[in-house]
Parts: sequence; structure tokens; C-alpha cells
Amino acid sequence: MTHWGFVAAAYGVTLTAAAVLALASWRAMVTAERAVEDLRR
Amino acid sequence: MKAKHQRLVLVLLALVAVLGASGLALSALKDQAAFFYAPGDVARDGLPLGKHVRLGGMVEKGSIARQADGVSIAFVVTDGVAKVPVRFRGVVPDLFKEDSGVVAEGQFQSDGSFVADNLLAKHDEKYMPPQVAGAMHETKSLEP
Amino acid sequence: MLHALANPTRFLKIARPLTPILLWLGVALFAVGAWGGLMRTPPDYLQGETVRIMYIHVPTAWLGMGGWSGIAISSIVFLVWRHPLASVAARAIAVPGAVFAALCLVTGSIWGRPTWGTWWQWDGRLTSMLLLFFVYLAYIALARADHDRGGDGRIPAIFGIAGTVLLPIIRYSVTWWNTLHQGQSIGLTGSTIDSAILWPLFWTLAGASLFFAGVVLMRMRALVAAQRVEARLRRLAV
Repeated sequence: MTHWGFVAAAYGVTLTAAAVLALASWRAMVTAERAVEDLRR
Repeated sequence: MKAKHQRLVLVLLALVAVLGASGLALSALKDQAAFFYAPGDVARDGLPLGKHVRLGGMVEKGSIARQADGVSIAFVVTDGVAKVPVRFRGVVPDLFKEDSGVVAEGQFQSDGSFVADNLLAKHDEKYMPPQVAGAMHETKSLEP
Repeated sequence: MLHALANPTRFLKIARPLTPILLWLGVALFAVGAWGGLMRTPPDYLQGETVRIMYIHVPTAWLGMGGWSGIAISSIVFLVWRHPLASVAARAIAVPGAVFAALCLVTGSIWGRPTWGTWWQWDGRLTSMLLLFFVYLAYIALARADHDRGGDGRIPAIFGIAGTVLLPIIRYSVTWWNTLHQGQSIGLTGSTIDSAILWPLFWTLAGASLFFAGVVLMRMRALVAAQRVEARLRRLAV
């Protein structure tokens, strides 16, 4: 692997993990807050 | 208020206990946790013979030399206090250069030299562009 | 201020608008840093282009460690003042902190291969950071078990405080012991990194921190909502 290959791998892994973390956290939040709303009705 | 103060004292006591315990564990671990021997350590404490160990330091300027067999290399590791001659046969990391850090894995010989079976490059915490590095940039490394 | 945030409604009033700001501003600042670090800065005199991994590796390291500090502080606040949101905060930090600690190890490994010549070595810095990651996993399991058994969060809180001992070990490992990992390059008094190479790091660090805070806020909101649902269901069941 060239040096740019290692750089790309590092950035790729990080951005992917961050995106998955944010999406999973957002989904959990939306589901939980929706449940509160549903109970209100 | 009283209960809160009691809890605070308990937490602080727990903290002190944890810190104390880890401090003790750390001082016990101190010598084992070193990743490598420096040439000065070995000159002072003696050769760790018969063990597979690591030797770390700077590659002395002008010391890298290809051996007669065409594959092995010899160089000198120094830490400013002492020097150890090293022989190595194998693949060398990109950053293996004179005046740069190295960690060699292998065994000490009874004559004080070191035979390495693996080399790792160690770099310091200084980062700078080539223009700023100037002469440092021009040190000899192994021909590709 | 602590007491103002104790009321979940007040907390949510602030958290709701703040969440997207933190996330998007974080992404934007990080993007500036990544652009600078990939396109504008020179290579390092010794290691060449691989130095650009620094702009990712350093923020993940700081946040992995900073996350645990957050858990520790929240745990102390919970144990001493019984602040209701404190244990929520600690639990919300756990997974993002673990993810960033893991990213620190992975990006460090990727950086190590072309520079040191190895993917991994058991030196003081790497080993203690790996230990912190395991401690994160233990905390996540402990907090979940405690919650499921109806515990009040005291045991995870004590664990959260005890784990702090790893932080100075990680920080000073490169000073106390001979390590493969190089010494500190950034401190309170200055930096050993040339300014031409250093500047994008401030942007990626700021961006990653805001992003991290945004994720923690989302997770806190999810936990608070779950608590409200549980409380409501308990009342309905009576």
C-alpha cells in the first residue's frame, strides 16, 4: 500500500464509524422520543 | 447537607484508595514496562544475555553498512551515553535512517554486540516540512 | 446551573435545539481541518504523507480519554449530589467514548505500519490505551446490568471513578517508560509540531469534540425519554 493508501484507510474507517455512531444514536433518540409522544395520547 | 458531605467523604476515600493501589502497582511494574533497553542501560546494568529483548536508540550517523553477503547490514545504536553494534538480516522499515530512532528485536551476544531479527523505526515527537528540516532531511538511508 | 438542568423538561428545552447545532457545526469544522490536512499542508520531513493521519488519530485519542473523564465527573456528581441527569450523562458517554477509543487504536495501528514498521506492539502507551477500551466495554456491560436489575447506578458510578486511574497512566506512559510511541508533541507550553503542519489539528479537534457532544446529547435524550416511558408505564400499571 502506498502511503496515501494508509491515509485513506484511516480517514475511511473513522468517517464510517462516526457516521454509524451518529445514525444509530439518532435512531435510538427518535424512537424513544416518539414513544413518549405516543404515550401522551 | 450532612448526608451529602458523608457521601463526598466516602467518594474521596475511595478515590484515594484506588490511586494508592494503582500507584503501588505502577512502581512494581516500572522496570518491566520498558519497551526496550537503551545502550546506556546495558552499559550500566550488564547484558541481558540469553533473552530475546529489544534495544532502542538512535542509529549513529555514518554507521549503516552493507555486509559482504549483500543482504545483511551492520549499524551502531547509540543513546549519547553508550553504543552497541548491531547486525541485521531482513526487511528494513521505511523510516530506518541514520540519525533517526530504531528499536531492534533480537539477542545480545557475549561480546556486547546485538544480533537483530526484526527492526522497528522509532520517530520522535518533532514534525516539520522538508524545507524546515533542511540538513536533517539529507541523512543517508538504505538504498531502495 | 446544575439545578436548572436537573429538571428533564428544562434539559430538553436546551438539548433539542442544541443537538443539530453541535452535530453539524462539528462536521463542518472537522471538514475544514480534513481539507487542510489532506490538501494544504506539507508532508513531514521524515514520514512523508502518513503524517496526515495525525489529524484523525489525535482527536480520537483525546476524545477517547476525555470521554472517560466525562464519565468520571458525572459519576462523582451522581454519587455526591444525586443529580438525576448525572447517571444519564455517564451512560450516554460510554458508547461514543468506546468507539473513539477503538478508533484511536485502529488509526494508530494504520499509522504505525508504514512508520514504525508494525501494526501493533505491547508498549506502555498502546497497552494502556487498549486497557481503557476494555474498561469502557466493562462499564457498558456493568451499567446495562445495573439498570436491568433496577439498580440505582451507584456501582457503575464507582467503576467510572476507579477507571480514571488509567488516564494519567496513558498520558505519562511515554515519559515514565521507554516506549515505541513517541513522546508528547502537544502540551500547555507549546508544541513540537511545526505550525505549517499543526494548524488543521485545531479544526479537526474542535469539530470532533462538538460532534462527540452532539452524539452524547442524542443518547442522553434517548435515555431520558426511556426513563419517562418507564415511569409512565409504572404509573399506568398500578
